[in-house]
Amino acid sequence: MNAFLALWRKEVFALFVSPFVFVLLGVWFLLNGLLFSVTIETQAVQNDLSLLPPYLLGSGMLVWLLLPAFPALLCIRLFAEEHRVGTLEPLLTAPIRDSAVVLAKYFAACLFFLVFWGGILLLFLLLSWNDATMDWARIWGGLLGAVLVSFLFLATGLWASSWGSNLVLAAGGGAALNYLFLFVPALFEHKEGLLGNVARLCHLPNFLDRGFSAGLIDSYALVYLLGMSALFLFLTWVRLVSRRWVP
Amino acid sequence: MGSALFLHTCANMILTKKLTKKYGDHVALVDLDLEVQPGEILGFLGPNGAGKSTTLRILSGYLPPTSGECSINGKDLALDSLGARRNTGYLPENFVAPSEMRVQEYLMFRARLKGLKRGIAKASIEEIVKRLGLGPRMRQTFAALSKGFRQRVGLADVLLANPPAVLLDEPFTGLDPIQRQEFREILLELSQAGKAILFSSHVLPEVEEIATRVQILNHGHSRAVGTLEELNLHLQREASVLLVLQPGFTKARENLEAGRQEFQFEFIALSETHFELHLKHLDLRPKLFQWLGAQNFPVLEVRENRPDLDQLFRSLVEEDKP
Repeated sequence: MNAFLALWRKEVFALFVSPFVFVLLGVWFLLNGLLFSVTIETQAVQNDLSLLPPYLLGSGMLVWLLLPAFPALLCIRLFAEEHRVGTLEPLLTAPIRDSAVVLAKYFAACLFFLVFWGGILLLFLLLSWNDATMDWARIWGGLLGAVLVSFLFLATGLWASSWGSNLVLAAGGGAALNYLFLFVPALFEHKEGLLGNVARLCHLPNFLDRGFSAGLIDSYALVYLLGMSALFLFLTWVRLVSRRWVP
Repeated sequence: MGSALFLHTCANMILTKKLTKKYGDHVALVDLDLEVQPGEILGFLGPNGAGKSTTLRILSGYLPPTSGECSINGKDLALDSLGARRNTGYLPENFVAPSEMRVQEYLMFRARLKGLKRGIAKASIEEIVKRLGLGPRMRQTFAALSKGFRQRVGLADVLLANPPAVLLDEPFTGLDPIQRQEFREILLELSQAGKAILFSSHVLPEVEEIATRVQILNHGHSRAVGTLEELNLHLQREASVLLVLQPGFTKARENLEAGRQEFQFEFIALSETHFELHLKHLDLRPKLFQWLGAQNFPVLEVRENRPDLDQLFRSLVEEDKP
């Protein structure tokens, strides 16, 4: 536990002092601020402010365009960058379990990504302080869904980051996987049969749109998101362990 | 694999048996047997690509071998990698720490990573920092340190949890002569404290000065292992002795000619007073020296021209050339 906490603290510290990460954060806030202002100006939202959470945190531009890319970019420094710079070797030869390495890095990235979502929450709070009537069930639900999806995308990003020292491959691979998570089910959700059924079961924007940002916590969506995150963390662990075991 | 190996390792802190590593079609290491006992410093020599770093990376738990066995303090790296790593301090070639971290923060992080409690970690860091002269650099970031101080930070990291086995990959690279001398003294201290040290190096005089034993590696094969003396004998090299006589002794050439057959040596007269004697076998040295005394040679100096590690190394590497 000592080793896990030591690494987690170090990773959090490294994220909070990284200029690259702050550039990411700045771009994220800028784009989300723009999206927020565009969304709030739409006639539908002007008429009914409770539509703001599903428009913003449901299946809007934020989820389809920005969300898959940013976690992957954040993750490149966790393994790929360390591998490239040469700090991975001292880490992996230290007496710490590979599972602890994976979890410490993942939870550090998760904590930092809460800062990303904190900016969005602040926008809702600003509206509320300006006497707007907000549907907080939808906002909290929408944020919970978005946070869980971003945690899944961090897990895929972490896995892609563990592939090697190529930063482009790590970022591109992670982002591509995340876009596949969104677009593949969307392409097949209207098909009949097994393919259509599976696509509907894996359709992330639907989880957000019809579930979380509608103020509903769907236990299936919860299990799916947490389970898929665990799967990619397991794959990252396998990747690390295989470096030690597979000749 | 584990039990048989364990019985072997009681005396050997670092042990490999028939260690082989292949990268695709390229064979980096072939059937390497290696032993380092507590208190011993094994110098690992070889040209670039000989397999030195690969061996150290396998022993550190960073890479798996293709076949063979290796253990640290009886912990088999294949079966108990974590246990082996708890007993190992490893300094990789070109050691790098996160550039944004201060030395103090980095050492505390590494100490905690190695399972030391905060109080013990602090005491351990204080002691090591004092020993390595890192005190004034503790508040600097790693990026601001010179190569020499980076190596010291790496060595401080190695020593934090007081591991019984120390693996150092090219530790002298980039150090100036004073830093090398300091580093050498630290390694000797560690060896006196009972640590088993395995280090690779291209700097032959350094190996010659501090290594208890030397193992020479070429093209992934162990070509020779032993003390310098043993390596010399192993190679069956002729002994070469420089004889310096008092000026004015005119019978030197004549007398040496007389003893040439009996003691199986050839000699070269470098001057009237300086002679180089080449003996067929090292074992003939005591008899020769006795004979020189009996002949009343006015000897000012007898010096054995011992082949240095550089010569040994070159001869072994040359032998392997196609």
